[in-house]
Amino acid sequence: MTITRRDVLLGATATAALVPLAARAQTTEVVIGVIYPFSGGSAQQGVDAQKAYETALEVINKDTAFDLPLAKGEGLPGLGGAKVRLVFADHQADPQKGRAEAERLITQEKVCAIIGTYQSAVAVTVSQICERYQVPFVSADNSSPSLHRRGLKYYFRAAPHDEMYSAAMFDFFDAMKKKGTKIETLSLFHEDTIFGTDSGNAQAKIAGERGYKIVTDIKYRANSPSLSAEVQQLKSAKADVLMPSSYTTDGILLVKTMAELGYKPNAIVAQDAGFSEKALYDAVGDKLEGVISRGTFSLDLAQKRPMVGKINDMFKAKSGKDFNDLTSRQFMGLIILADAISRAKSTDGEKIRDALAATDIPGEQTIMPWKRVKFDEMGQNNDADPVLLQYIGGKFVTIFPPQAAIAEAVWPMK
Amino acid sequence: MTAQAIIQSLASGLLMGLLYGLIAVGLALIFGLMDVTNFAHGEFLMIAMYLSFFLFAFFAIDPLLSAPLVAAALFVFGAVIYLLIVRFAMRAKANAGMVQIFTTFGLAIVMRGLAQYFFTPDYRSIPQSWLGGKTISIAGIFLPEPQLVGALVSIAAFAGLYFFIHRTDFGRAIEATREDPGAVALVGIDKNRVFAFGWGLGAALVGLAGAIMASFFYIYPDVGASFALIAYVTVALGGFGSVFGAFAGGIIVGLVEATTALVLPPSLKSVGIYAVYLLVVFIRPRGLFGSI
Repeated sequence: MTITRRDVLLGATATAALVPLAARAQTTEVVIGVIYPFSGGSAQQGVDAQKAYETALEVINKDTAFDLPLAKGEGLPGLGGAKVRLVFADHQADPQKGRAEAERLITQEKVCAIIGTYQSAVAVTVSQICERYQVPFVSADNSSPSLHRRGLKYYFRAAPHDEMYSAAMFDFFDAMKKKGTKIETLSLFHEDTIFGTDSGNAQAKIAGERGYKIVTDIKYRANSPSLSAEVQQLKSAKADVLMPSSYTTDGILLVKTMAELGYKPNAIVAQDAGFSEKALYDAVGDKLEGVISRGTFSLDLAQKRPMVGKINDMFKAKSGKDFNDLTSRQFMGLIILADAISRAKSTDGEKIRDALAATDIPGEQTIMPWKRVKFDEMGQNNDADPVLLQYIGGKFVTIFPPQAAIAEAVWPMK
Repeated sequence: MTAQAIIQSLASGLLMGLLYGLIAVGLALIFGLMDVTNFAHGEFLMIAMYLSFFLFAFFAIDPLLSAPLVAAALFVFGAVIYLLIVRFAMRAKANAGMVQIFTTFGLAIVMRGLAQYFFTPDYRSIPQSWLGGKTISIAGIFLPEPQLVGALVSIAAFAGLYFFIHRTDFGRAIEATREDPGAVALVGIDKNRVFAFGWGLGAALVGLAGAIMASFFYIYPDVGASFALIAYVTVALGGFGSVFGAFAGGIIVGLVEATTALVLPPSLKSVGIYAVYLLVVFIRPRGLFGSI
């Protein structure tokens, strides 16, 4: 057998191609499952979430200079620089599909942790499956308070839940009343899945404790073709504040119907969700000057913490949008989870769980206005301070709490 | 509860009901003509809304002006769908009913998927149209202009359809084909042409509804689903095969929905619709004006 120049060349190429493979084999790859609605009515949330997670992935897997866990150096230092890979699954806003997808991710894709899910109703089933397989579940952006109160060992939420958000709203009302603003009666308007129901219950409870009167409490069917009967009732109730808990489609229809039926409340204080969505402001933003929504993120923070603006630019390059309340929580959720995996020095579910439970990240090392990230025994971070944002002149400004505020609230809204 | 609130609810219900009627009429027409239920009816509505949206976004044509254009485009679309797909599904020898169901149902899923791929799942809306956001107030009763115009268009379209079916030769050909598709061939009527025309007409009607709705409703790939369900109930309530029944059914559904929301918690407002529907099929299985 004669060795031709061609063979030598081919051999050389083959060897060159194999070298990185061999190098790669030494470090393992860490696979994390990401469950979101990628089709159906909430698909846009899934698409945006994917961009947020890819931004976080870039921070984790590449060497960046940010003051965030895992930002410096490539990959997870605890696992010899292993890179994180994400597997995306579509739950179509259906709790049963979420359950099936979680099971598939764990058994087929061999993910070591799962993060999700936008809808709280889906988080319920996904977290149950994770518990059964002893795989940690990070609830990045679900806000139902009941989620962490089920005694699950593998459930973690770094962001605030609706009772914390609602408490912040009432703290704000109390502060406004001290300044002489009349806030006595409230109208609750919430959709009929777990998000709206929990939010409505939390608001009703706090209102009772602090002496606010709920004049009407409307639970409506999500994705209704018409909301005129509902708005009619809100209009007759004439409350000082309207407090909606709605996803984007219902939020758009609510605001349009309010305008059509001549209902203009003094103030709208919204439970995020649809009211943090660009699509809603594109559609009806002209009718929403002065609307207040709760949030856990504020781009104003970039003034104090420049990396917030830089990371926002990275996300914007991918998605064409600024970070909002949801995408910022998704970004932080993956950073926190990956940091725990690195500290666990293992992809074993129980070790990651213990590392998550031991998490203690100071607020300055996040892109959020939070005090810090530290989970209680139920997996909830109670130091995630919510903020209230007001939509003024086409953008959101932080108006509460005072330490985060950059402007005074405009009341009544225009 | 004040009298004003009741009148307002009834007025809103009537306006919405006329629109439900307009959506359902196209469905009833196709069903009455050839016994095929178009499970992609909601997706036809979605396509019409997007068309209206894009005509506004790219050419600044107001939805009110683009409505005839959208209806015409949907006419062609409906006829083409019949000629390319439904015609072949109807040739199935075994399980013809099932084949038709899965054909139109599959079409719905494909259309939704394509819409999501090409238009993205983002929610669109037409913020500044001639009618959008405008409202007429009479003695404290608010009548949103887009819905009001939609109701008038709906009445006009129904009157036109009624006249067309009962007073023109082509309308009579449709009626005859509906009665006996085999016999009409003997007198030289091309069954396929009539069916294609029927699909076109049904699609044009839902296209009209979609164009009007684009001025006050949000638009996204799944938008058809919630309206399609109501359209099926409307057709079944009014009576299969009856175009008039579908129109009357729409009005009834709108009014029942509004009154239910007055007396029951709003999250239960569709319960009223289904209760009335069950009552009707219990007493009169063929629906209120059904002939089959």
